[in-house]
Amino acid sequence: MARGLQLKKIGKRFGDFWAVRNVTCRIFSGKITGFIGPNGAGKTTLFSVITGDLRPDTGNVLLDGEDITGLKPWAIARKGIGKLYQDVRIFKNLRVIDNVVVSLLSPKEESPFRALSNFYKLKSLWSQKAEEAMKWLEFVGLADDREKKALELSFGQQKLLSFARLMAAGFDILLLDEPTAGIHPKMIHKIEEILIKLVEEENKTIAIIEHNMSVIASLAYWVNFMTEGEITFSGRTDHVLGDENVRKIYMGIL
Amino acid sequence: MNYILHLLIMIGIYSILAYSLNLVIGFSGLFSLTHAAFYGIGAYSFTLLMMKLHFPFIAALIAAFLITGFLGFLLGLPALRFRGDSFVLVTLGFQMIIFTIMYNWVGLTRGPYGIPGIPRPVIFGWHVDSLLEYLILIGLLNAVICFLLFTIYNSPFGLALKSLREDEKAAEALGKPAYRYFLRSFSIGAAFAAIPGALYATYVTYIDPTSFSLDESMFQVVILLLGGSGNKRGPFLGVLIMTLLPEALRFLGLPDTIAPNVRQIIYGLILVFLMYFRPQGIAGEFAVK
Repeated sequence: MARGLQLKKIGKRFGDFWAVRNVTCRIFSGKITGFIGPNGAGKTTLFSVITGDLRPDTGNVLLDGEDITGLKPWAIARKGIGKLYQDVRIFKNLRVIDNVVVSLLSPKEESPFRALSNFYKLKSLWSQKAEEAMKWLEFVGLADDREKKALELSFGQQKLLSFARLMAAGFDILLLDEPTAGIHPKMIHKIEEILIKLVEEENKTIAIIEHNMSVIASLAYWVNFMTEGEITFSGRTDHVLGDENVRKIYMGIL
Repeated sequence: MNYILHLLIMIGIYSILAYSLNLVIGFSGLFSLTHAAFYGIGAYSFTLLMMKLHFPFIAALIAAFLITGFLGFLLGLPALRFRGDSFVLVTLGFQMIIFTIMYNWVGLTRGPYGIPGIPRPVIFGWHVDSLLEYLILIGLLNAVICFLLFTIYNSPFGLALKSLREDEKAAEALGKPAYRYFLRSFSIGAAFAAIPGALYATYVTYIDPTSFSLDESMFQVVILLLGGSGNKRGPFLGVLIMTLLPEALRFLGLPDTIAPNVRQIIYGLILVFLMYFRPQGIAGEFAVK
C-alpha cells in the first residue's frame, strides 16, 4: 500500500507576512502531485512545513491519518518522508559513494555501542552497503565517480547524487523541490523515467515543485496552483494546465 | 635514552587526547575548548579514587573513564543546543568554570598546592616503575584505545557524524538526529580524555590544576588544526609535530629567558599560516569553518 499525506489548513507566518495561508490539500498515495506557481508563492515553505524544517502556525499534517505536525525533521524522515532540496545539499567532503552509503544506514546500525560489540562484522557490513550504494550510483550514472569527493562533481551531477541519496534511503513519500532545475535536457528525460518507475513499480508517493511545465504535464496526476501562499486552483493536470487564468497568471509570465 | 623514552611517553599520552578530541572536532565538527577540563577531571577522579579510596589501577582507570564520560554528557546537554561560534564560547565557559572549581575546591583537590605522591601503577602484581615499563604500559593502553576509537571512527556512527558535520539539515532529513548523536560523540570524547589524564597523573606522580587550563585546551586544539582532523593520520601527525617541535627548538640554543616566548610566537605563526594556506591542516579531511 502506498502512503499519502493530507494537509489541513496549513498556515506559516514570517513576522506579519503569511508565506502560506490556509492550505488544505492531499498528496495522493501512489501518484505524483504537482505544485506550480510563481516564485514566492509558498511552495518551498509548504514542503518545509511537511518535513518539519518549519513549524506551522496553523493547521496539521497527517500521514495516513496520523498527525505528524511539529515532529522533529529526523523523526519525520524516519516515518518515511524524504525531501530533495532545491539547493542540493550533498555532503561535500565525503566521497560520492559515502554520500549514498550514509543514507542506507538504519538507526540501529548507527549505534556506537553496537559497532563496538560487533566490530568483527563491520567489514562485511560496509561491503554490503557499498554494493547496494553502487546500484544507486549506476542508476544515476555516477558509478565511475564513486571515489571522488562530492565537491568535485558539477552542479548537475551533485543533483543526481542527491537523487541517489534520497532513493537509497528508501522513503515512501518523496518531496522533490525543483528536481530538474539546472539539469541537462537529456538528463531531465531520465529523471522523468525514474519518477514514473518509482511510482508505478515501487509504489512511491511523490510531490513535486516544478517550473518546467512539460515535466508536470507528463508526470503529474493532480496539480495545485499556488499564488501568494494559497492554493488558488487545483485539479487533474489537464484541467489545471488548460485553465485560462492559470495560463494568464503563471505561464504568461514565464 | 631516558629523554627519548620520556618523549615517547608524552607522544603516547597526547595521541589518546588527540584521537578522543578528533571524534568531537574532526567527526562532529564541534569546535570544543573543554577537552583539557575533561583531561583534568579524568586525572583528578583517577587520583582521588586511587589515593583516597584505594582503588586498584585498572578499576580507578575505568571509573575515571565513566565519571568523565558522564560529566561530558551533563555538560553536553546544554552545550549542544548551540552550534558554531556560540558552541565555542559555551565550551570556553565550561573550561573556565571547571578550571576554577579544580583550583578553588581545596578540600577535594588541594587546589593550587596540587596532589603529590601519586603512586605508580601496579597491575596484577606488575609494578610499573621504570620509564621503559611505563612506555610499555602506555603502548598497550594506546593499542586498546586506538582499537576502540578507530572502530567508532569506522562505524556507521562515525559516518553519520560526518554527514551531520557536513550538512546538519540534510543529514537530519535522512533521519540522523543531530542532538542525540552529537551528545554521544561529545560524551565518548570526554570519557576517552580521562585515560590520558590518569596516565599523566601516575607518570608525573603530581597533578595541579595548571596542567588542565585553557592553555592546555588550546594546545590540544592546535594539535588537531595543525595535523588535520576527521581521519587517523592527522591527529597523530599533529601530536608528533607539537611534541617534537619544542625539543627541536631547544637545540637552537636560545637563552632560557626568551625560549618559551619564541615557542609561543612560533605556535601563533603556525596557526596564522595554516588558516591562509591549509585550513584543513596537514593531513586533514575538512576545514574547520
